[in-house]
Amino acid sequence: MNNPLVQPDPGLFIWTIVTFLVLLGLLAKFAWRPLLAALESRQESIRKSLDDAQRARQELEKVTEESARLVAEARVEADGIVSRSRADAERLKEEIRQQARTEAATILRNAERQIELETGRAIEQIRAEAVDLSVTIASKLIGRNLTREDNQRLIDEALSQVEARQKR
Amino acid sequence: MFQPHGAETAAHGGEHAAEAAHEGFNAGETIIEHVSNSPIDHPLIHLPTLVGIDFSVTKHVLMLWLVAAFVFATVTWIVRRHLAAGRPVPSGAMNGLEFVVEFVRDSIVLPNVGKKWVHAWTPLMLTFFVFILCANAIGLIPVFDVLGLLNHWVIHPDHESFLGSVTHGGTTATANFNVTAALATITFGSIIVAGTRAHGFIQHWKNLVPHGLAWPIYILLIPIEIMGLFVKPFALTMRLAANMTGGHIAILAILSFVFLFTEMFGQAAAGIGVGLAVSVPLAVGISALEIIVVLVQAYVFTLLTAVFIGMAIHVHH
Repeated sequence: MNNPLVQPDPGLFIWTIVTFLVLLGLLAKFAWRPLLAALESRQESIRKSLDDAQRARQELEKVTEESARLVAEARVEADGIVSRSRADAERLKEEIRQQARTEAATILRNAERQIELETGRAIEQIRAEAVDLSVTIASKLIGRNLTREDNQRLIDEALSQVEARQKR
Repeated sequence: MFQPHGAETAAHGGEHAAEAAHEGFNAGETIIEHVSNSPIDHPLIHLPTLVGIDFSVTKHVLMLWLVAAFVFATVTWIVRRHLAAGRPVPSGAMNGLEFVVEFVRDSIVLPNVGKKWVHAWTPLMLTFFVFILCANAIGLIPVFDVLGLLNHWVIHPDHESFLGSVTHGGTTATANFNVTAALATITFGSIIVAGTRAHGFIQHWKNLVPHGLAWPIYILLIPIEIMGLFVKPFALTMRLAANMTGGHIAILAILSFVFLFTEMFGQAAAGIGVGLAVSVPLAVGISALEIIVVLVQAYVFTLLTAVFIGMAIHVHH
């Protein structure tokens, strides 16, 4: 047992245990516990951030979906509104046109009737005027009174002449 | 690892080798002196003997303290700086530290002890890992060999001074089985604490053997399980100490070729030739291997401790 490699050394044995336990205590208190706590809290915060990101992404997806749905709905509604108003406009236009046509027809008819009336009245007047005139002219021309028959005949002649002219 | 003889080879191989040849070179003795602790009867600091135990500070005790101080200062500084910055995003050394912490927590502790106990046991496992890793790795850094050179060539102190004593003995405390036995004892204690906290003190000891068997089987099983109780930390002790010693001995043996060949041929040139052609390339290769061994052994010790603690918590029979 003279070989120093296998020499028992209880002092060294105990010094090792003491040194190691002191080192363990100091490191555990000042290094390992704070370090492990920091690692754990970082791990926790990373996990939380990832979860948050995941949740936010899902939220965003939902919102995007919702907005797409809203846009689609709005488009359908807008299409409906446009087509409805186009139909309304068409109908209104047709109505107005119809009304205008009716009105125009009424006005035309009234005007025609008026013209007819006026024409009749004018002819009557002309006729009366012409009789008076022709009698006066004839009396003056002939210088004498005509017999009643002659007179009547002349009037009829003149009238028929006027009527014939008018008819032309 | 490059103890004075090896390190001096590069610059002053010739004269030194001649000197060694003159004195007669004993490779075995020199190597053992370079990997073992400084002798307890010539400690660095004399302390009184308590209950038959000599508490004097030897080289390996000093190395443990240096490693513990370095680990505590570095880790605490990194963590405090990160916390003081007040930002959750890690930067610089904190990234590396977090990688180690998350590796130990998620790959070593969590799969073995389970979610419920991961908070209780992660600090112990982290301390095991970084402490053993640094204690292993410090043997690869030739700080004390540079110091030894300085001592030898510049300062010339007497052999009994503190500086003179510090350069004696191996730098790898975890190559000393007293140290690894102490670490394994902490594992042993942790297994009992873990079992007691999970199942209560009495139940923990009952859990050692499966219940509901015929009594003759217990006569066989109980001694086996009790042996297993001690074999676990014993295996941890031997594995770590032997691994840490082995690589160093291999490197020193390869470097001692220089002196052996000098002696054999009576010429320094022979030794230097063999050193350049064989010893240095091989020693570099083994040093590279040692970097892996240093990591793996720290990992294995921590992993097995976690496995044993997990076995005490989750009893499978």
